[in-house]
This record gives sequence, C-alpha cells and structure tokens, in this order.
Amino acid sequence: MGEPVITAEKVFFSYDGVPVIENASFSVAEREFLAVIGPNGSGKSTLVKLILGLLRPDSGKIRVFGKSPRKNSHCFGYVPQDVAINRSFPISVIDVVLMGRLRHHGSSRIRDRDRKSAVESLERMGMAGYENRKIDDLSGGQRERVFIARALTTDPDILILDEPTASVDTGGQAELYSLLRELNRTKTIIMVSHDLMVMSSSVTAVACVNRHVYYHDQGEITQDMLDMGYQCPVELIAHGQPHRILKTHEDES
Amino acid sequence: MIEALQFEFMRNALFAGLFASLICGVIGTFVLVNRLVFLTGGIAHATYGGIGVALFFGIPYVFGTLGFSLGAALIMTAVTMKAPQRSDTFIGVLWAVGMAIGIILIDLSPGYNVDLMSYLFGSILAVPAGDLWWMTGMGAVTLAVTIYFYRDMIAISYDVEFARLRGVPVHLLYFLFMALVAVSIVFIIRVVGLILVIALLSIPPYIAEKYAKSLGAMMVIAVILSAVFNITGLWVAYMLDLTSGASIILMAAAGFFISLAIDLLISRRRKRAAAQSRAENSPACGCGL
Repeated sequence: MGEPVITAEKVFFSYDGVPVIENASFSVAEREFLAVIGPNGSGKSTLVKLILGLLRPDSGKIRVFGKSPRKNSHCFGYVPQDVAINRSFPISVIDVVLMGRLRHHGSSRIRDRDRKSAVESLERMGMAGYENRKIDDLSGGQRERVFIARALTTDPDILILDEPTASVDTGGQAELYSLLRELNRTKTIIMVSHDLMVMSSSVTAVACVNRHVYYHDQGEITQDMLDMGYQCPVELIAHGQPHRILKTHEDES
Repeated sequence: MIEALQFEFMRNALFAGLFASLICGVIGTFVLVNRLVFLTGGIAHATYGGIGVALFFGIPYVFGTLGFSLGAALIMTAVTMKAPQRSDTFIGVLWAVGMAIGIILIDLSPGYNVDLMSYLFGSILAVPAGDLWWMTGMGAVTLAVTIYFYRDMIAISYDVEFARLRGVPVHLLYFLFMALVAVSIVFIIRVVGLILVIALLSIPPYIAEKYAKSLGAMMVIAVILSAVFNITGLWVAYMLDLTSGASIILMAAAGFFISLAIDLLISRRRKRAAAQSRAENSPACGCGL
C-alpha cells in the first residue's frame, strides 16, 4: 500500500460539550479497505463526517491528500445512512444519481454526458431500467444500490459508506461485499458498520470507535480489540479460519 | 362566471389569483419539502411590522414590508442553520414581535388606520392593475431562478450533506431561496392576504407531493391545484356573495380533506387486498406468511 490518503492527528470533537471523539490519530493508506466498527452512539458516523469535512474538529488536524477535507471534498464518494434521508421526497432514481454529477464541470447544469454516466453507474449496480421509478417505491437494498451508484458517478478516489448493510438482506450483503472488493482495486474504501458482520477477506484495516479510535492496519479482529473498543455481543467472521466470538453484555445476568 | 368577467375588478382578481398560484406552487414546493411552513408563516406575520413602519414614517408600503420580510427571512434562516433544535421558539418570537411592532406603530400613526382584516384575508377584488405587473415580474423572476438552480434545489432539499460535498454553495443558495420566499410573500399578501398565502403555500404542494415523481412535477401539480382552488373560490364567492379570500381558503381546505379521504380509501383497499392474498396463499405454503 502506498502513501496515506487520509491522516488524522490528535482529533477531538464534541457536541454541546459532550465529547464524542477523543484524541484520534491514524492514517489510512491508499486502496485500504477500512471497516469502522463500534456500538451504537460510539461516534462512528461523527468520525466519518469529520473525515468528509462535514464537521470541523474542535482541535487536531485531518488531511485528505495533504489538504483540508473541505478543499478535497470532490475526492469523496459518500453513501449516507439510508435512514438519514427524507423518504417522502418526490424524486426519481435518475435524479438521485444525477446529484453525483453536480458541479462536475463547475456549473449547476446537467449535460448528456452526465446522464450517460449516471445510467452507466446504475447499470453497474444492477439497477438498469429503474431510472424513472420513484425512489420511495424501491426496497431498502435497491435504494442502497442507487446511493452507491450516485457515489460512483462522482468518480471518487475514496468511497465512504455509512452502514450500507443495515437495510440489505444476507444475500444482498454478499453481493455488496463482492462489488466493494472489486471497487477496492482502484479505490480506497471506508465502511461504517455496527453489526460487525465484517467479511475479513475484503477488509484490510479495522478502526474500533468508542470515543477513542483504535486503528489496526490488519483486517483481523482480535479479542484485545473487542475488549478495548467494543462492549457488546459481537458476531464476526474472521480471515482464515472462520470463527465466531459471542460476548454477552456485562450488565446482563 | 363568464358574465362576471365583464367587470374589470373580476378580471384583475382572476389574474391575481392565477399569478399567486404560479408563485405559490413553485415556492410552496420548496417550502414544503424543506419543512419550512412554520418559518414561512413567521416571515409572513413579521411583515406586519413593515406595514406599521411604512405608515408611521410615511414611506411607501413596499419598502417597509420588503425590509421587514427580508430581514425576518435572513434572521430566521440564519438561526435555523445555527441552532436547528431551538429555531421554532425563535421563529415564534420574531413572528409575534413583528406583528406587535406593526400594531403599535399603526396605533401611533395619526388619523388613518389600516384594517387588520384586509391584511389577513387580503382584498383580491380590489387589486389594482399596477400590482398585476409587480406579480408578473415576481412570477418571472421566481420561475427563472428555479429553472436555473433546479438541480441545486433538488440537491440541497433532498440531501444537503451530499450537496455540500459536491461543492454546491449550500448556505448561499438557501439564503437566495429564502429571499425569494420573502419577496413573494410581500406581493402576494398585498392581494390575497396573509392567511391565504400560508394556505396556498402549503395545501397544494402537500397534495401534489403524494402524486408527483419529481420536484418539477410536484411544482406543476401544485400550480394547477392552486389555480383550481382560486378559480372555484372566486366563483363561489361571486355566486353566494361571500368574502373571496376565505372562500378560496375553504376550497383549498376541501381539496386537502378530500385528498386525505382518498388516501385512507387507497390504503384500506391495499390492506384488504394483502389480507386476501395472504388468506389464499397460506394453506398452500403452510407457513402463514
């Protein structure tokens, strides 16, 4: 793996005085497949938004290709959490994907070229023919593919997905992982997940977030990491010998 | 209705209603999908302060109300961006303060007193031809801005974080659209009153949202619906000799409740169909699903 594409140095962030991220330092190498894991409310989405430049750290520094994230925001393809999106909004699939081509040539106009790129991205995600369907009429898994298509049509260097498997069934998840593996050949991928169904054969690094960030540049999840970052029942499939670790809540009898 | 159009004031009322429909359908769609109905109500009410200022200082009505509505829009939008969780309180305060300033200044103005009722319900039957020109201009500006920034408007309304990552100047556009809302409100209140503005900004887009596949389609449906409410409302008012503004609002309200009833019927029928297919299928597969 080459030069780091993202570096974080002693990053602190708080909401209304409540610390969410404390003293996070790590660097993400090029073409890394980083899984960001941690329990609900641990600050995973916040960490991702700090990397994207949507939030500003209270202190510390984040650099993307050597510049502030805001200056390099065109490098990101972002797939937000499905639940964060207004569901009743009247919008067709193609209009969602075309958002990825906004300001592609510096203006707010959409050209034929952009339309072609949007259709290609949809084809790549197996969603050809759905262009004029209303997004609200699709299933959770289909919506997820549309959002990934939107991210891909921006031609990103770094693909960031926030809980992409939350509304996808098991078969769809396997398909999603094989697609991400393929994209990983040319792109750095950061994927947030809270259910820890991590396919370690794809993942090359893991960040455990629980206010602190524990970064491991190996795609394996060890008992130590779980003890540090994760205090919930977890289920994981690890590289090599598949095994499950089930840890119960301490406050449960 | 046809013979009523022989009167110039009736023709003006009809045109005013149609222009108001055009502006409200387009602006109202933006307001509704961004959940800004309350904020818009706040701007509309705060403009009453502008009427008071105009009267008290003897400046033209347009400058007073434009100043107040733009000022209220800018402050409310800024607060909504900075502290979204408390913005409703702040809007409520500005709403009341604007109206209170208006009433006090009108009290203090010598002689002539503005009728609060005509401000609330407008006087669509007394629209002077000059105002129609203003509304035509406003309609053209609203349409031009919306068409030019259509893609950006979709992006910031649907997924503002993604829009920001694409380099869309989110804050600037938000202020631009809110300024458009504020200016539209001023000219429409003048003819149809403040209550009708809020009704026309919210009811037609609300109904349109359920049937539209895109933001543009939602705007077109909302414009058509509000034109229908305006024409039928005017007709009823003329036939039965009722207050026109209130008649138009009741037409819109009727449309609102009819659409709710239709929704209810459709969802009931769907449920029944689903239950029926479950009943037919369950013996065969035996799993009860």
